Amino acid sequence: MSEAPSPEPAGPNPPEPTGERAVRCRGVSVSFGPVRALREVSLELEAGRIHALVGQNGAGKTTLARALAGLQAPDAGRVWVAGREIPGGNVRAAAAAGLAMVHQHFSLPPSFTVAEALELTAARPGGKAVYRRSDLEKRWREYVEGLDGAPALSSRIRDLPLEVRQSLEIVRAMASRARVLLLDEPTALLTPSAIEALFERLRGLRDEGVTVLVVLHKLREVEAVADTVSVLRDGRLVFGPVEMTETETGPLSDAIVGTADAAAGSVAMDEAVSRAGDDVVHLELENVSTPDSAFEVGCREISLRVAAEEIVGVAGVEGNGQRSLVSAIAGLIGLERGAIRFGGEDAAGDDPARRRQRGLRLVPFDRHTEGVSASAPLWLNQSARRLVGRRRGRRPLVSVRSWREESRAALDRWRVRYQSVVQPAGSLSGGNIQRLILSRELAGGVELLVAAQPTRGLDFAATGFVRESLSGMRDIGAGVLLVSSDLDELFELSDRLVVMLGGRIVAEFHPPYDRRAVGDAMTGAVR
Amino acid sequence: MIGQMGRIVSTVIWVVISFAATSLILWVSGYGVAEVLSGTVQGALTASGAFTSTVRWAIPLFLIALGVMVAFRAGFFNIGGQGQFYVGACAALATALGWRNGPALLVIIVSAAAAAGAGALWSLIPGWLRVRFGTDEVLTTLMMSFIGTLVLQYLTGGPMRNPEGTGTTASTERIPDAFRLTGSSGVSWRLLAVVIVTAVVIWALMERTRFGLSVELAGRNPLMARWQGVNVSRVGLAAFAVSGGLAGLAGAMEVFGPAGRLVTGFSPTVGFDAIVVVMVGLLSVSGMALSAVFFGGLQAAILFLPIVTDVPPAALVVLNGMVALLVTARFRSRRRRPAPVVPETDGEAAAGEAEG
Repeated sequence: MSEAPSPEPAGPNPPEPTGERAVRCRGVSVSFGPVRALREVSLELEAGRIHALVGQNGAGKTTLARALAGLQAPDAGRVWVAGREIPGGNVRAAAAAGLAMVHQHFSLPPSFTVAEALELTAARPGGKAVYRRSDLEKRWREYVEGLDGAPALSSRIRDLPLEVRQSLEIVRAMASRARVLLLDEPTALLTPSAIEALFERLRGLRDEGVTVLVVLHKLREVEAVADTVSVLRDGRLVFGPVEMTETETGPLSDAIVGTADAAAGSVAMDEAVSRAGDDVVHLELENVSTPDSAFEVGCREISLRVAAEEIVGVAGVEGNGQRSLVSAIAGLIGLERGAIRFGGEDAAGDDPARRRQRGLRLVPFDRHTEGVSASAPLWLNQSARRLVGRRRGRRPLVSVRSWREESRAALDRWRVRYQSVVQPAGSLSGGNIQRLILSRELAGGVELLVAAQPTRGLDFAATGFVRESLSGMRDIGAGVLLVSSDLDELFELSDRLVVMLGGRIVAEFHPPYDRRAVGDAMTGAVR
Repeated sequence: MIGQMGRIVSTVIWVVISFAATSLILWVSGYGVAEVLSGTVQGALTASGAFTSTVRWAIPLFLIALGVMVAFRAGFFNIGGQGQFYVGACAALATALGWRNGPALLVIIVSAAAAAGAGALWSLIPGWLRVRFGTDEVLTTLMMSFIGTLVLQYLTGGPMRNPEGTGTTASTERIPDAFRLTGSSGVSWRLLAVVIVTAVVIWALMERTRFGLSVELAGRNPLMARWQGVNVSRVGLAAFAVSGGLAGLAGAMEVFGPAGRLVTGFSPTVGFDAIVVVMVGLLSVSGMALSAVFFGGLQAAILFLPIVTDVPPAALVVLNGMVALLVTARFRSRRRRPAPVVPETDGEAAAGEAEG
C-alpha cells in the first residue's frame, strides 16, 4: 500500500515561496549520535496563521521546533524567519527576526514573583543593575492585566495554577513583540477548559497577525485550533502542511502511525490466544483511579484483567496514564479509588516488597535510572531482588560470595556482555542493561510481569531477544502486561490490546489488529 | 580492583602533597621545617607514650567516622557528628552518675546504650526532616550539632556542674573509678576491644546484611531501590539512627575512657575531623582505621609540639586543614542523595498509607 490518501505529500523539491512565509526551512537534518532525529525536513509556514505539528513520541517534533528557534544547530539544511536566514543554531538571530518559543517545560523560576520572573526571562529585559519593585510591577502590569485569571504581580510563580503559568510563559515569549510564536506541547499539563482558553489566546494572537506553530498530540486539539497541519514520522515530514478544511482526522491518524506498513502490521495471533489455563487471573484492577502526578495524568476508573498465559498490551500516546498505571500496580503510588487483586486476593494493602514476594516483576520505563543503579556493581544490581521481603529462618548474614557466583551464572545465562561482576552497571550498553534487568526480573516464581517500554532504544537484535523473553514468560504460565509505544511490538506480542487516552482505557482490541482503528483510539480521532 | 588501588594511591599522594605544602608555609614563615617534622614524628610515634596518645585520639575519631560512613553510604551528608558525640557523652555521664552504686558492667552497658540512643535521636530529627520533607540534612545536622554543643555547655555549667570544681572551665563530677575502662592515658585493651567489636559489627552490617546492601543501593540510586521494593525512607532513617548512635557511643567511650567526666567544649573538632577521616579512608572500615590513626597522630603531635619546640602547634592544625582541603576537594558529592524537588512523598506516603 502507499500513502495515496495523503494530499500533497512533501516532495523533495518544494516550490519557491510565493506568498508571505513567516518561517521556512529546507533540508533540515539533525542527528544525536546514531539517532537521526530529523531527516531533510522542508517546511513553509504562511504568516498570520495557526500551524499544528503532530507526530508520535520521538518523531522529531521538538527537535524541529528547536531547530527553527535556533536552539538546535542542524547538521544540514537552512532556516529562514521572516525572510532572514538564521545561521545554524543562532538563537539570538532567530529572536531578532521576531521568533519566540514556549517550551514544553515551564521556564519561569518558581520562587520568583510574577513581575520578577517576567523581567528575568523576558527576551528584552530592562537591563538595569538595580530594580525597584514598584517599577517592575508597573512595567509588567499592562502585559498581565488582560489575562484570564490575571495573577497579582507580587504572587509567586509556584503558587499559580498551571494554566496561569502557561499564560505567563506566552506573555514572556510575546514581550519582545514576537511575530512568530512556537509552542512545544503546551496542552500536555492543562485541563480541557484551560486548553480551550489557551486556544482562544492563540486565535487572538493570530488575529493580530502573529504566526503560530504549535506542537500537539491529540487530533481533537488540532481540529479545534489549527488552520493547517503537518505530520512528522521518524524524523520525516510525511504529511502537509495541509489546510484543516481539506483533511480529516482519519488520514491524519494514518500519517501519524504509518499506513504504508499497515497491512503487514495486522498480525494474526491465532495460535497463542486463549490456549488453556487462563482460569488463573494474575492481576485484576477494578475501577482504579489514582491522583495526577506532576508529570502525568492519573488513572481514571481503569478496569483490567491479566490472566495466566496471556500478554495484554497497553497502547497509547505517552503521557496518557501509562506510568500511573504501572506505578499503581507496583505499589509505588496509592489508589484513590478502586480495587487491585493479585491472584484473586486483595493487594491494595501490600507494599512494593510484598507485591514482589507475591510474584510481581517489573521492567521499568527508564532502564538507566529505574532499572539499575548505575554506580553500583553488577552483582548487587542483579541480586537486588533478594534484598527485600521477609522469610522465616533466613540467616541474618548474606554470603556475598555466593550472591556474586549466582549473579555471574545468571548474567552468563542471559548472555550479558561484561568483564567482571564488580564493574558498575552503568558501564554496560543499553541492551546489556536490559538483559541484566530481565535476568533479575524473569527468574524465580514470576506470576505477573509488567514490562514498560522494554525495547525502547534497543537495536534490532536486542529487541528480538527481549520480545522472545516476554512471550517465553507467557508460555510458561505468567501473565504479562506490556506497556509500549511501539505498535508493531504490541501487535506482534499481545493477545489482547487496550488503548489508554487521558488516563482511561478507551478501547480494547483483539487480533487481527487494525492499525488504523488502534491509531484512531490512541489519538482520539473520529471518522 | 584497579579503581580502588588508584584511589588509595592518589589519596596517599595528596597527603604527601599536604605535608609539602605545609612545610612550605612553615619555611616561608621562618620556622625550621626539619624541627617541626621531627617533633611531629616524636609526638605521634617515637616519644615515650606518644603512640598511646595517638591511639587515644584515634578512637573517638574512628567511632564517629564509622557513623559518618553509614550516612554517606545511604546518600546523606551527616556532618553533625560533633553534637551527636556531645549528647551521647551527656547521656552516658547522667546514666552513670544516676546509678553510681550499680554493677559496673551493667551500668556501662546501659550507659552506652543511652548514649547511642541520644546520639541516634539527635541524628533522627534531621533524618526525619530529610526523608519526610526533603530538608537539606547538611544544614539541619549542623544546626543540631550547635544545639548539642549548647546542651553540653548548659549541663556542665548548670545542673550537672561539680560544685566543688575549681578553675575556669565548667566541668562535672567524675564517674566512679569502677566504671572507667581506661586510666587517664585513654587506652586499654578493654576499650580497644569495644572499638574493634564495634568496627566488625558495622563492617558486617554494611557489607554482609540485606540492610547494608539496601543502604548501598538506595544511597546510590533511591529511585531504582524503590522499584525494587526497598522502603527507601525506612532504610534512610535507619542509616541516620545508626550514624548518630555511633557518634553517641564515641561520647560514652570518652566518658568511660580518658575523660571520666564532662568538661565544657571538650574535643571541640573531633566530630568534624571524623568527616575527613571518612574521606581519606575512602569509606572503607579498614581505610578509616588507618586514617583515624593518622589524624589521631596529628592530634597527639599538636599537643606534644610545644614541649620540644617553639613552633606553635597551630602549624599542625594547618597540616590537618591542608589534608582536609586537598583530599576532600576531590571527594565529589556524587554519593550524596539529590534533594528531591518534590519530596519523595508520593510513593512513600502511599505505601505508608497502604501499610497503615
